[in-house]
Amino acid sequence: MTSKPAVAIYSGDIPGTTFIERLVLGLALSGQRVYRFGFLKAPVAYPKTVKVVGYRNTKIGKGLHLLQYTLLLILFRYKDKRQLDKFLKETATHLTRAKVKAYPVLWHRPEVFHVQWAKDLNNWMWVQSFGMKLVLSLRGAHINYSPIANDKLAAMYRAHFPKVDGFHAVSKAIAQEAEGYGALKARIAVVYSGLNLEALEAEKLDGSSVFEMVSVGRSHWIKGYHYALDACKQLKHAGIPFKYTIIGAAHDIELLYQIKDLGLEDEVVLLKHTPFDRVQLLIRKASVLLLPSLKEGIANVVLEAMSLRTLVLSTDCGGMGEVINDGVNGFLVPIRNPKAIADKLIEIRALSNESKKQISNKAYNTVTEQHQLEQMVKGMQALYGDVLHNNGKGHHG
Amino acid sequence: MKRTKRIKIGLVLIAVPGYSETFFRNKIHGLQANGIEVVLFVNDFKRDEDNLGCKVISAPDFSKGVLKTVITSLWLIVKALFIQPKKNYNYFWLERKDGISVKNCVKHIIRHQYVFSESLDWLHFGFGMLAIDRENVAKAIGAKMAVSFRGSDLYLSPLKHPGCYSRLFTKPVKYHVLSLSMQETLTAYGISKTMVWVIPPAIDVNFFNKTHGEDALPGLNFLTVARLHWKKGLEYTLEALALLKNKGLVFHYFIIGTGDQYERLVFAAHQLGLKDSVTFLGKLTPKEVRAYMAQSDIYLQYSIQEGFCNAVLEAQAMGNLCVVSDAEGLPENVLHNKTGWVVPKRQPQALADQIQDILALPDSKKEGIRNQAVNRVQTKFRLEHQERDFYDFYSELRVNG
Repeated sequence: MTSKPAVAIYSGDIPGTTFIERLVLGLALSGQRVYRFGFLKAPVAYPKTVKVVGYRNTKIGKGLHLLQYTLLLILFRYKDKRQLDKFLKETATHLTRAKVKAYPVLWHRPEVFHVQWAKDLNNWMWVQSFGMKLVLSLRGAHINYSPIANDKLAAMYRAHFPKVDGFHAVSKAIAQEAEGYGALKARIAVVYSGLNLEALEAEKLDGSSVFEMVSVGRSHWIKGYHYALDACKQLKHAGIPFKYTIIGAAHDIELLYQIKDLGLEDEVVLLKHTPFDRVQLLIRKASVLLLPSLKEGIANVVLEAMSLRTLVLSTDCGGMGEVINDGVNGFLVPIRNPKAIADKLIEIRALSNESKKQISNKAYNTVTEQHQLEQMVKGMQALYGDVLHNNGKGHHG
Repeated sequence: MKRTKRIKIGLVLIAVPGYSETFFRNKIHGLQANGIEVVLFVNDFKRDEDNLGCKVISAPDFSKGVLKTVITSLWLIVKALFIQPKKNYNYFWLERKDGISVKNCVKHIIRHQYVFSESLDWLHFGFGMLAIDRENVAKAIGAKMAVSFRGSDLYLSPLKHPGCYSRLFTKPVKYHVLSLSMQETLTAYGISKTMVWVIPPAIDVNFFNKTHGEDALPGLNFLTVARLHWKKGLEYTLEALALLKNKGLVFHYFIIGTGDQYERLVFAAHQLGLKDSVTFLGKLTPKEVRAYMAQSDIYLQYSIQEGFCNAVLEAQAMGNLCVVSDAEGLPENVLHNKTGWVVPKRQPQALADQIQDILALPDSKKEGIRNQAVNRVQTKFRLEHQERDFYDFYSELRVNG
């Protein structure tokens, strides 16, 4: 156990998103020493192997945090502090804020510093100068679309990606995107998201007689809900009774207008963000989980639906094709194509119960084979091992 | 009928209209030219903005801490009690009659006190949303009430705030809308058609015409002038253009405007393989807009929601072939097959087909459409007409119909 290196999982906030917390917990339970740096958003109860080095996001909280680590560094690592200060002065847009974040990391010096969000990378390139290995996760928006509309961000990626020691890609597709910004293929490990399948063990519920579709996710254009609504109009036009619920998109004025415009008020419901147990229930009751996204890493909600044995219809975007094999364990349609969505829904609706069961069983098997929590933890630890093993091979300048 | 006294209008807006907000600026100048006195009521006003030649009164600022808010509120109550007691007394009881709680009545009195200081013939709210919670102000001060609706506050606000106009629509209000389609929408709420005046936008036809010498750009060029907002339907437009590109059409698409959907649209252009065929130009001056119109072949306004749209009028006046969606006021702006083409919204394939058909037309047919569009805008959408219509709106010399 003690041979396992100390790893910082850095997402800026504590706790981070569900999947980041799942990673932290998985690593910790396997005996990995984990650091969590950042601001404390809410109380957390981690296992003992996790060390939280957090501050409250108030002036006093940040002030005390900075004071403590400034004193420690002045007294015991003055030379390092000076070197870091020089670096921060050259790169930080807000020096004090940068120090609040950086000083504790310099003091504790984990062997691997794993940045979860690529937009943050600029602030952490310095860790390599102090012998820490820098690992970056390639997730969602930060890779998939933000740098396409933001030339500055793309330039930052191009400047730094070639120097990063190791990448964690949530899908093969996102790994390819990162290569476009100079990430070296040999340093990228594709580690699929892992689910705690025991928590999702549940019987598929019989829904109502009406064909029910459900989508889950924040109200954002990348989710492609307006294509799903255009598809709904085609379903209605074809005389098919259905109900479509979008969880997490309540009050979205674009969707509200579209629902009214297309006369879908009786068929479509927008719900606000809902606790996971309720979401789970709605997924279990639904005939189909629909993911009309324009781009995804690998959508966790699809994995969850598959483990709950609800049929999934997804657009063939990002890494979704790495999970779903059309017609085998779920269904895929091209992006931005309402007609393809509508046609496929009609096809799914016409399937026999036997075929539906077969497909959902295969979907369940895919998740158990490819997306177990332990697999994710092992994959991540192998990546850390590789990164540390490559030490001294001239990995970076 | 003889005019006995100068008409005085209080126009309620969010802010003093900036240089690019031509609609309100033109309206104010037009009214002043017709001898009508205009007072502006705005939420936020900086001295150096005052260049419209009218009095500007700004609402009290309640964002500067508790102490300042309390002092301001007390002062406004004193004013209400001792300077304008009758108007405020009327207002209080009108609000109570509408079932407003005493606490909210007092709040409204404090908040709207800045409007009570003027004696007006008309109190005109520049947007529907500005009239909410102020439905009784005009009556209380002895003025007639008018409300202008634009596309978004008529079609989108009630979805965001269900029932937000239910009190307003019970009051004797004269409405101004931009299109017959909007008039229809309002009458569907039970408002008498005679109370809803359609005064479409107008443009400066001396500025927007083809005599300024800009030459067309080489190749085939499409143009849209729009905020980068979902309601402008730019994603559907890009999809239509991607269909044409896949068929081998070579073109360039210019989009003038800024907005919060920039990332979405750049990503769409990227994903649809249009990145080299689309340029996002950002916000441009009217002169630059005119130059792009002069240099483009086809103007596209494939909106999802649109009250009327000035930019399409400008494009028509500049002799562009205009293709628009059938959103609300657009089919009145562009007459299908006469001054341009109207395509059902949210159907990229239909838009692509329409563009292809247009490109295949003989030059004489295109020229005919261009000329009809220019003529129609030049005769029907002139600023002088708008000025006259607004004068009639307030002077009540003419019955709506």
